[in-house]
Amino acid sequence: MQIFLTIVMFGSLFSVLTLSLNLQYARGGMINFGVVAYFAAGAYAYAIVTQQPPKGLDQYLFGLGAPWWAGFIAAGLAAMAFAFLTGRPTLRLRGEYLALTTFAFAEMLHSLLVNERRIGNGTVGLANVERPDPAGIGLSEGYAYAGAAFLLMLVTALAFRRLLASPYGRAIDAIRDDETAAEAIGKDIPRLRFQVFVISAIPIGFAGALYAMITTLVSPDLFTAEVTFFVWIALVLGGERTLHGAVAGTMALVGFQELIRAIPFESIRAAEIAAAAEDVLTGLLFILILRWQPFEVLAKRKQTA
Amino acid sequence: MSLLAQYALTGVVTGCFLILATIGFSLTRQVEGFLNIAHAEMLGVSAFITWGLNAVAGWPFIPAAAAAVVATALIGLGIGRLVYDPMRRLGPAVLLITSVGVAYVIAGVMHAIIGTGIRSLDVPLATTYKAFGLRITDYQMAVVALAALTGISLALFMNRTRTGLAIRAMSANPELAASRGIDVRQTSRATWLLSSGLAGLAGVMLALIATLSTDIAFNQILQILAVAILAGLGSLYSVIVAGLIVGIAMDVSVYFIPAGYRPLIAFLVVILALLVRPEGLSGKARS
Amino acid sequence: MTRDLLVMDRVIKRFGGLKAVGGDAGLSFAVPEGTFLGLIGPNGAGKSTTFNLISGVLKPDSGAVVLDGVDLSRARAPQIAALGLGRTFQTPRAFSSLSVLDNVIVGADNSGETIGSAVFGRWRADERALRDKAAAVLARVGLADRVADCVGNLSGGELRMLEVARQLVRDPKILLLDEPTAGVDPSLQAKLSRILVDLHAEGRTLIVVEHNLHFLLQIADSVVVLQNGQLLSKGTPSEIKADEKVITAYLGTEHAA
Repeated sequence: MQIFLTIVMFGSLFSVLTLSLNLQYARGGMINFGVVAYFAAGAYAYAIVTQQPPKGLDQYLFGLGAPWWAGFIAAGLAAMAFAFLTGRPTLRLRGEYLALTTFAFAEMLHSLLVNERRIGNGTVGLANVERPDPAGIGLSEGYAYAGAAFLLMLVTALAFRRLLASPYGRAIDAIRDDETAAEAIGKDIPRLRFQVFVISAIPIGFAGALYAMITTLVSPDLFTAEVTFFVWIALVLGGERTLHGAVAGTMALVGFQELIRAIPFESIRAAEIAAAAEDVLTGLLFILILRWQPFEVLAKRKQTA
Repeated sequence: MSLLAQYALTGVVTGCFLILATIGFSLTRQVEGFLNIAHAEMLGVSAFITWGLNAVAGWPFIPAAAAAVVATALIGLGIGRLVYDPMRRLGPAVLLITSVGVAYVIAGVMHAIIGTGIRSLDVPLATTYKAFGLRITDYQMAVVALAALTGISLALFMNRTRTGLAIRAMSANPELAASRGIDVRQTSRATWLLSSGLAGLAGVMLALIATLSTDIAFNQILQILAVAILAGLGSLYSVIVAGLIVGIAMDVSVYFIPAGYRPLIAFLVVILALLVRPEGLSGKARS
Repeated sequence: MTRDLLVMDRVIKRFGGLKAVGGDAGLSFAVPEGTFLGLIGPNGAGKSTTFNLISGVLKPDSGAVVLDGVDLSRARAPQIAALGLGRTFQTPRAFSSLSVLDNVIVGADNSGETIGSAVFGRWRADERALRDKAAAVLARVGLADRVADCVGNLSGGELRMLEVARQLVRDPKILLLDEPTAGVDPSLQAKLSRILVDLHAEGRTLIVVEHNLHFLLQIADSVVVLQNGQLLSKGTPSEIKADEKVITAYLGTEHAA
């Protein structure tokens, strides 16, 4: 039961990231290889806004001691602001250049969090992050946060679906299909791309805040490029075309990892090998899916039928 | 002042290593048309084969290194034919993402076999030489010499041999090359051998000058990407300039700001460069 | 005298040192409002390049393109489109993930195409009117029964008509058609010919690049002939047909072929 709850909790949480990436890549045609940065921006913003002012050995400068909901809103704004900052100069770059610069921005943020101790205590991070106590509404913590993650995922998916089903979504699809033709009917491609980029960062920021609440810790170790790769693998796993595919892919990947982690190991070496095997299997799965594209084939079959 | 000069000299060594590490990456980008994220893992593969043969099996360093380079070249060719060749029609974005999967597999296999922790080669400690108040070790000099040697032989290979000319033709215009009777498959194989072999060489250097642990490779890809973007993802000669710029900028920055920011500097250079010249140093506009 | 809607003023465009359009003096011609201009010339004369220069896909190296009094030198393609210029492409372009109807609606200047409108659902109010308008335009180009189809099922000729429809729904001040009859079967060509004549009669300004001179010279009221990127001749279709220079440079080879 516990493992099921964990899968729902982290599966939903990371699904928010996959959904946002799906919007950016499958609809907007933008390869964002720095997803983790927006996630980290949200988590740190939440922690900084809600924590108490620094004392004793603390090296961070700011702690606003604000309530959790203020931190949650700040997280969305922080991710949005970071997207604004990084999107402006990079979105005129095409395909792989965009992938590389977003990756570079994420690495820069990571490096800043490690080295600039005044933000969040450097590598130590911020521990005992404040969070609302769900006992007030009569729920155990596990259920409450799994529920919150699920809710965030649901709201994100519905919001994106609403966006994509509108004329705005139609214009986005047109741009992805044929940029030259879209320009010939007056679509301002850089502007629309930039908007999609910034909008899809907001839920990632919210997910960051929730992640900080769940783990009660933010530290640079939690926000490495592995998070970005993880989300990409989940996206490919679920098939990039649909929103529910993005969710299914993430759930499957989180479930797979949690199951492997649940196996008890006799020695450290065995656990090490298992962790390595997890990487190998994840990578292989990834390659095989990209190689045979089963979801694309299915989608095409549906379309012609 | 002499400290600054010392950092600049170390920067040249770093730059030379980055050139070795990036040339293969750029070559793949040119001929195969995609960014091979797993390229850095090949450095790790080579470094640990060298370590295995040298420190575990007791071979002398030189034969161990030579065997590692050859093995890495063959492994690279194998991966290229097995994974990337059948997927070429899916386009560079998918191949780029696939190479992340390949990197996962290689890293996982290395973790499983070698485990975590720091290793070292069974070689004598570096000897330090002093001149004009600057210090340099013999291993550092070896890196610079090897980079220079590789650059020259690669230039000769590309300009004088049939395979080299075929690779250049392929990278300039694959369709035209094919229509002019160049064997695309064979050239592609030669490229995999060459670029992976270069990764192998860089890996051996890495084993010699850096602290050896299994996550060594991932830290390299960041810098390789920085150099490659700066060079413009295409030209081999601009890789040399870009490698030196990034290497020197990183090491000299340590003189002014905390060393932790060293990797950040690489990307700062890149982002600044991209804002000024979106197509990189080579300035070759892509159509 | 009607005013000039489009003016090409000493335009020069080079590709790698070679002058694709303009020669030494630059290419100059004016298109008065309401004109149906045929733009012809042998292969490589610079017709498509001229279109790309007008629509902002390419930028001139020197000279100016002026649309309705606005200098287009600094404008990008979407801005030029917003100024009221519509164009089709030599190879027809369609949005493959949209239905035939959506392919047309997306062309309309739609105030509901914003994030705010999407979030609050305000677009629904206008959508019905847009659908009706798009359906009417589709009926006009003969695609009434393909409204719900996906574009993958359209023939090459139908794709061209779809492209025309997508531009018509925007009510452009000036419409540029690049080889509208290429790959279009004769019955559809006749229909296209009628549509163009109708549009002209409505007072719209048209520029059409065409290889099929028989088709074009019947319906255009003015012709510009290009050769090697330069203006060879300009006049009414009957003047052009009688022009010695044109016959030797262009029509002659065409007849021989």
